[in-house]
Amino acid sequence: MRLFKLAVLISFIFSFQLFAQIENLKTHSQMNLDCKKCHICDTPTKANPCLVLCPRNKIESVRHSPEEGPDNIVLNEIKSEKDLYQPVHFTHKLHAEMSLMAGGCSTCHHFNPPGKIVKCITCHNTERSRADISVPDLKAAYHRQCMGCHKTWEEKTECESCHALNTTKKSKLVSKPSMENVHPKITIPTKIVYETNTEEGKLVTYFHNDHTSLFGLECTDCHTQESCANCHNQKPNFVSSKANEDEHARCSSCHDTENNCSKCHKNELTKPFDHFAKTGFALTGFHATNDCSNCHKVKNKFTGLKKDCIYCHKNDDGLFDHQITGVKLDETHSEFECTDCHAKNNYLAKPSCADCHDDYSFPNEVPGEKVK
Amino acid sequence: MSQNRRDFLKTIAAIGASGTALSAVTPKKLKAGPTNILSDERMGVLVDTTVCIGCRKCEWACQGAHDIEQKDFDTYQHDDTFNKDRRPSAQNLTVVNKYFEDDNPITAKLQCMHCDHPACVSACIVGAFSKQENGSVIWDTDKCIGCRYCMVACPFQVPSFEYDKALNPKITKCDFCFDRTKEGKLPACVEICPVEALTYGKREDLILEARKRIKNNPEKYHNHIFGEHEVGGTAWLYLGPKDFTTDNVFPKLGNNTAPGVSESIQHGLFAYFVPPVAVYALLGGIMWLSKDRDSKKENK
Repeated sequence: MRLFKLAVLISFIFSFQLFAQIENLKTHSQMNLDCKKCHICDTPTKANPCLVLCPRNKIESVRHSPEEGPDNIVLNEIKSEKDLYQPVHFTHKLHAEMSLMAGGCSTCHHFNPPGKIVKCITCHNTERSRADISVPDLKAAYHRQCMGCHKTWEEKTECESCHALNTTKKSKLVSKPSMENVHPKITIPTKIVYETNTEEGKLVTYFHNDHTSLFGLECTDCHTQESCANCHNQKPNFVSSKANEDEHARCSSCHDTENNCSKCHKNELTKPFDHFAKTGFALTGFHATNDCSNCHKVKNKFTGLKKDCIYCHKNDDGLFDHQITGVKLDETHSEFECTDCHAKNNYLAKPSCADCHDDYSFPNEVPGEKVK
Repeated sequence: MSQNRRDFLKTIAAIGASGTALSAVTPKKLKAGPTNILSDERMGVLVDTTVCIGCRKCEWACQGAHDIEQKDFDTYQHDDTFNKDRRPSAQNLTVVNKYFEDDNPITAKLQCMHCDHPACVSACIVGAFSKQENGSVIWDTDKCIGCRYCMVACPFQVPSFEYDKALNPKITKCDFCFDRTKEGKLPACVEICPVEALTYGKREDLILEARKRIKNNPEKYHNHIFGEHEVGGTAWLYLGPKDFTTDNVFPKLGNNTAPGVSESIQHGLFAYFVPPVAVYALLGGIMWLSKDRDSKKENK
């Protein structure tokens, strides 16, 4: 019996090991792969896996902020027999910032391994005459990346919009390559009226400024898959061929576009968002400049808040945090009821000191210490 | 390879004097055979018209490499050149034209395709044309007598003639930068292309690369490598978004080699001097018959 138990135990262990081996087979080390396909060195370690940077078959998602990269780069790695043009001064940061609205770093840094972003020169050879023709050389890689967007809006090849001529001869072209690292000021629209093809509720009035300044949305919150040509095309010829859900894609991340059509689709123009008209709580003073999310903390949930100040402004003792108004009440005053100073629950009007004191007046004399 | 006119005439005279008898004895040794090498290592260029941006820098560089007068290189961009369909000429051995103007236009560079079985080599009556080991189809201007048969023979209508020159006009066409590649340099157009729409490499490698591009981007490319099989294969290969023959980028051509049919007829007919002998025999027979008849008439 004992022997049988032992046998069961041993077989159990072995079967476990068998499973473990099957599990191992799934990892690449057990697979019939050429190590050199991914590792550069003979003995890769965990600390230094010496992975091949390129080419990678899949575009890896890399996410870095534009500030992490260089501001401007002079692209002078390519030298030819006769340089017709001077090297390009590439405004990297500016392009990186704009790319946030169109797919991010991987728009240009394709096939990037995870982690650090590699330069174009890491994979693209500076020599055109080379053995591996499957990867474009550096000159081609640069031009293809640039022209991929620049040609979509200029619709012509204008070398001198990026390159200065390498001769003393003056260029006939008017446009000069810009070396500045700022995008020209973008005119942000305030109100856009969409005329839709629905029978009921033809008009959708969209207040862009409400969304940006009032609701505190960043450009990249909505503009994620923009094409440069959307803004830069000199002769826009857009034909909307989007399906219904595509049209609503931008709105539906916050709004329920499946139901409640009439909330946006109206027969007449609508007025901008008015917090008082909707909720009865006027946004005055500090509240006027406050981001929605400061009070409406749960994302996309804007109901359930109460008008009482204490609902939001509560201190650790569960009382109104008077400090928020700019005056930290001293010990004596913090004992009072609110209405002792703020007559008739009117918190907008200046409190009357004269109700208790003979020769005090707010705000020349304050019932505590001024903060801020 | 170079041979001046005098040498050439001497050769012809020598053949004329001692030719007929010898040729009947040893036809293979003296059969007119210009250099026509089809090397496995032959080079080519893959033209990816989906990448070309139409800057026409290749035209500028080509002129420079062949001592043809260049215009200011910034005048090559955005002018009205694309409004007309141009053909390679003595001033522009290569031209870039715009095609499929109505939707998703492409720009494509045209020049000699450097056929694997060149019709010009076959048609040239003085053996000036040759297909070289590196794939170039070149010609010897000293041998050329200006008959312009090559122009008629070419399925792509590439060779052009300096009609505007009264004295010593020459046949011109792209020579695949034979002088540059001999020195290990790239063809001038390939070197200058900013986007590497022109990839220089071994022809077989280029076909593999082209297949890979089609496989990886099936929505971008029309599934055909123009020049892989056309007229028996060409050194220059083209990839594009559509069938090139639908907008006359190239004419509709079969896969048979251009000189294939004509050569087999010609070489067959003239082998062992059969047709001349037959013609002479026929003429002799007629003479003999009519002579007999004439004498009969006189006797009457």
